[in-house]
Order: sequence, then C-alpha cells, then structure tokens
Amino acid sequence: MTSKLERLLNLTAALLATTKPLTADELRNRLEGYPESDASFRRAFERDKDDLRQMGVPITLDEVPHVDPPILGYQIDRKAYSGSDPQLAPDELAALHVAANLVRLGPRVDSALWKIGGVVDAGANVTGDERVAVDPLVALPSHANLAPLFQAATEFRVATFRYNDLERTVEPLRLTFNRGHWYLAAFDRTRGDDRLYRVDRIDGDVSLGASGSFVRRNTAGADPRIPSWELGDGEAVRTLLLVDADQAPFATHQVGSASIVERRDGGDIIFALQVRNTVAFRSFVLTFLDHAEVLGPPTMREIITDWLVDIVEHAS
Amino acid sequence: MTTRLTAPDRLARLLAVIPYVAGRGAVAIDEIAARFSYPRNELVADLTDVVGYVGVAPFTPDTMIEVTVDDEHVWIVYAKWFERPMRLDPAEAMTLLTAGRTLLAAGDDEDTGPLLRGLTKLGAALGGVGADAPVDVVLGAAEEQTLAILRQAVAEHRCVRLDYYSYGRDERTERVIEPHRFFADDGQWYVGGWCRRAEAVRVFRVDRIHAIGLLDEHFGAPVDGSLATIDPSATEARVTLDLAPDASWVVDHYPHDSSAVGADGWTRVTLPVTALAWLERLLVRLGPLARVVVLPHEFGDAPSRTAARRILGRYQASSPPEPAVPDPRKGPQA
Repeated sequence: MTSKLERLLNLTAALLATTKPLTADELRNRLEGYPESDASFRRAFERDKDDLRQMGVPITLDEVPHVDPPILGYQIDRKAYSGSDPQLAPDELAALHVAANLVRLGPRVDSALWKIGGVVDAGANVTGDERVAVDPLVALPSHANLAPLFQAATEFRVATFRYNDLERTVEPLRLTFNRGHWYLAAFDRTRGDDRLYRVDRIDGDVSLGASGSFVRRNTAGADPRIPSWELGDGEAVRTLLLVDADQAPFATHQVGSASIVERRDGGDIIFALQVRNTVAFRSFVLTFLDHAEVLGPPTMREIITDWLVDIVEHAS
Repeated sequence: MTTRLTAPDRLARLLAVIPYVAGRGAVAIDEIAARFSYPRNELVADLTDVVGYVGVAPFTPDTMIEVTVDDEHVWIVYAKWFERPMRLDPAEAMTLLTAGRTLLAAGDDEDTGPLLRGLTKLGAALGGVGADAPVDVVLGAAEEQTLAILRQAVAEHRCVRLDYYSYGRDERTERVIEPHRFFADDGQWYVGGWCRRAEAVRVFRVDRIHAIGLLDEHFGAPVDGSLATIDPSATEARVTLDLAPDASWVVDHYPHDSSAVGADGWTRVTLPVTALAWLERLLVRLGPLARVVVLPHEFGDAPSRTAARRILGRYQASSPPEPAVPDPRKGPQA
C-alpha cells in the first residue's frame, strides 16, 4: 500500500520532470496509490493538488500541445518552483534565525527557514525546552497586502489597487514601517508623481502585473518619515511653534532637531515647520495642550484659536 | 509529542530536506531532525520507507532517488528533480528580510556582520536586491544612549532612575524602576517593569524618558507572570463618545470596550480613560467630530471646553501678532 506522502512526492516529481503538460489520466496511469474508481480518483487527485498548491507549489494547467480535440494537462513551473540557493554560512543562517525569532511579522517563519537550509540555534546557552520560549523583541503589525506589494517591488511588477476612492496604477519602490504603520512609496502612473500610501488604507486586494513590467526610476521616492503636516497639496507655510521645556525633548523627537530655530533659557524651544496640511498640523499642536503655542504667522495662530473658540461655544 | 506530522507537513519538510542532504555526502540524522523540526523516528521512517521509492516513470532504478540510512547518517543521491529547494514565497521572503533589517536598524551593539552577510545573500537570491531590499523599518526615535542603558539594566537586573514624562497624565516625574523587559511594539521602544513610585508593574515609552541613570542596586528576578503589558483597559473609568465618520480612526487607534456604527454613520464607542489629560487631548483634537455621551463625574462637566479655555488663555496672555486673537465670547471671526 503506497502512502499518501509517497504519492504526493511522486506526483511532485512527475510534474517537475515532464516537458509537456500531463493529463489527469496520464498521471493516474503513472502513479501508484490512487483509488480504482473514477470518482474516488478524482477526489483524491483534487485533494493532492490542493495540498501542493497550499504549500506554494506552482502547478499550472495548460492545453497539451498537438492534441485534437484540445485537452488540459498539469505541470509544475520549474523556474517558479525553485529558488536559487543563497549558500548561507552557518553563522549567517543562525543570525537570520535569531532575527526571525526576535521580530514578529506574521506566522510563517519556520517554512521560510527550512527553505534556506533549516533552523540553526545561535543561542548556545539555551537548551532543551527553553528553546521554544523566545520573547519577540519587536512586534510589527502584519497586513494581507504586504506580501504582494513586497513581491511587486522585488520583481518590478506594476500594482493596481483602490485608495481614497480612486483606482491607482503604481510602480512600487519600497515598503517602510514608520510610527505604527506600513507605507508604500510608489510612482503613481496616472498622476505621474511619487506618492505615499498607507498599506492598511488600501481598499481591498492588490493585483499585480507581469514580472519586469517597469524599470526602476532613479528616484528616492516619497519618504514616510515626512511629518503628516508636510503631506498635502497646499502651499507650504513656514510656521513658528513654541514648545515648553517639559515637552521639548518629546517634540524634538517628533519634529526632528533640524527644525529648531531657537533654544531659550530654561529649555523652551521654537521650531520652524513647513505646513501644507493644516488639519494634521492643528491635531499635532493640540496634543501639547497648553504646553505649546503657534507664534505665527497670524493665519496659523487663527487656525488653532478659531478651532478652540468653536469648542468653547459648542462642546457637548 | 504524540501527534504525528500530517502528510503535507512531512512533504513540506522533505522538499527542503532532500535538497539539503543531496550532494552533501553523509549528513547526521540528528542534525536534520533539529534543522527541520522533524521528529527523529518519523524522519528515519520516511527516509527509509518513502523517499527511496520516489522517482519518475518508468520507475526503473536509474529514475529513482537513492537513499542510504545507517544508525547515524543518511546519504541521498540521484535526487535530480529535487536538487533545489522551493523558492521563498513573497510572504516568507518579506518576513525574513523585514526581521533581519529591523534587527540591523535596532542598532544593537552586537556584531551584525553575519546578519548583514546573510541578508545580502538572501537578497541576491531573491533577484538581485541585495541587502538593500525594498523594505525598511523605522523604530521609535530614542536616544542610543538611553537604549544602551536599558539593555544593560535588563540584562544585569539593575535598577534605573527615570525622569519620565507621562503623556497620559501630562506630568513629569522622577522614579526608580526595576526593568524586566525591553521591547518594541508598533514602532516604539518600551521598557516594562516594577515601578517603585507607583508600586505596580508599569510600561514606559522610551522616547518619553528625559533622563536616565543606571543605579548600582540590583533587583531579584521578576516573579513569573509579572511581565508588564500595555493594558489601559485595566483602569476603571470609561467614557462613551459618538464619533463622526472622519473620526472613526479613534476606534482603530485606542483600546475600547465596544463600538457600533449607527444609522447616521456615527460610531458610538466606549473607551477606558487613563487620565484626564489624555481625554482632554483627544477631545480638543476631535472638536466637533466627537460628542460626549457618558462621562464619569470625576472628569468634570465638559473637559474639552475646560481644556480649550486653558489653551486659549495662553494665546490671549501672549502678545498677539496682528490681527488680534478672536475673543472667545464673540465667537469665531472667520
């Protein structure tokens, strides 16, 4: 009696070895271990294909050439199946293993490590049962669209998705995690400009074009480290913001020390910010409550005071 | 472990084991078991009873994989169709590269040579992207010096003195903590441990530490299960708000007990409140996009109005540039 494992391995070998698509009947005749009756064979064969596809084995279904009437056959795309061996030295593999344990992003680390030569424990001092209990040092949120966008950036595939109620066709450059969110920096073909998209705000799935469907432009792309008040279509307004000493270090972390124009005795700091998005700017300034003040220009002061006056008059 | 691996579980391992062993000569069975988390007895059984029977039609000896197993080692030859491992799928590749690059960026002072070399090789194998893979992780801005002291304190079980700005309470305090754990979550660095001032387990965000001092005093290993986690829902007070559609991000951003979208598109949400300053900040930022539905007595009648008056007071006290700051009693002038 042939085991299911043996049947799956032989099926994989047959589909990898063949130079033309193999029909279900051909596979049935070549492989041992399938049930006799047609219906049972169909069910078992479908399950096997599902198992392989779930593991990521790229089974294609194509017309068998030179056959009339046309008939469909199966094959594994050998190029898509195998990667090139990165030839990792044991210390390199161990370092990647440590990284995979310390940084948590999605659940599929083990299979990834097997494919590059298995798991090597670097922590020589961890033994026995302790091995499994590794506390991640860094936890990053995962998202269903991250992997396709990553694939698009590595394989130069054009990506299409819906964002802010508009259909976008973009050339993905890079993914950056910053301040709690994943951002995609890409060249927007419709708008002819670099754009930044928050991955969790993409509406629905991302669909990908063919591999190599664009040539990487010589551009750094939009930088997600740009503060939110600089992201907008408005004119940039140079705005002076005073932050009290208590909050000054925290504000400097947020804004960057390059924006500091004056340090006062006692620790107060004045920043000069380029504001394009007044809503984002107002929200940022108000996080300091009464520990910060917009010094000018007057229009920017009014944006804050008008908003506050409205709250005083209408707050529930 | 009594549960046996399923056939697909074993297939996934064998498709990695066969290319690993093939062409390497004698490979220790224990090593394979460890590398591929393959229980030794199942591994030996599968190598002996299954892999040696794998080949392609017509299944003559020259088309079959040849497997030799002794007590300690295994040899695999003629595994032509399985000589290369399956390629990493995009999710796996992204996971590995992100993990590696994050650790590089975290600036741990340990030797990053092997990691950088590993990432470069991996990137090259993925299609020439090298170590400059198109993924970047920016962890919270925190002074290198602060991170280094915290790492040392956690490792050596030493107390630290913090000058800390509590964002929720909007106050700055000095405190001594016993740091148990040091970690990054959602892009920010945190240290968790026993706070002697609060006499409770607390979590501190590293970028809000104004100053840090490493003390000579050691503390005992933390009691099991006392590891600090961020759980503001443990506080008692709750506020219920109605949020306009444009303010629905609040639901994604903060822990909450319940939320429901009404027929008018507004969301009713009940949130734990860590401190009055936290609530004031949220309400003055939201302005007309939030309506207070239920408010505990201790937060006063209208915290947003109180906070807005206080901030306006500051603008009125400073010499206003032209034109004059509007008078709150007259209402907005625009």
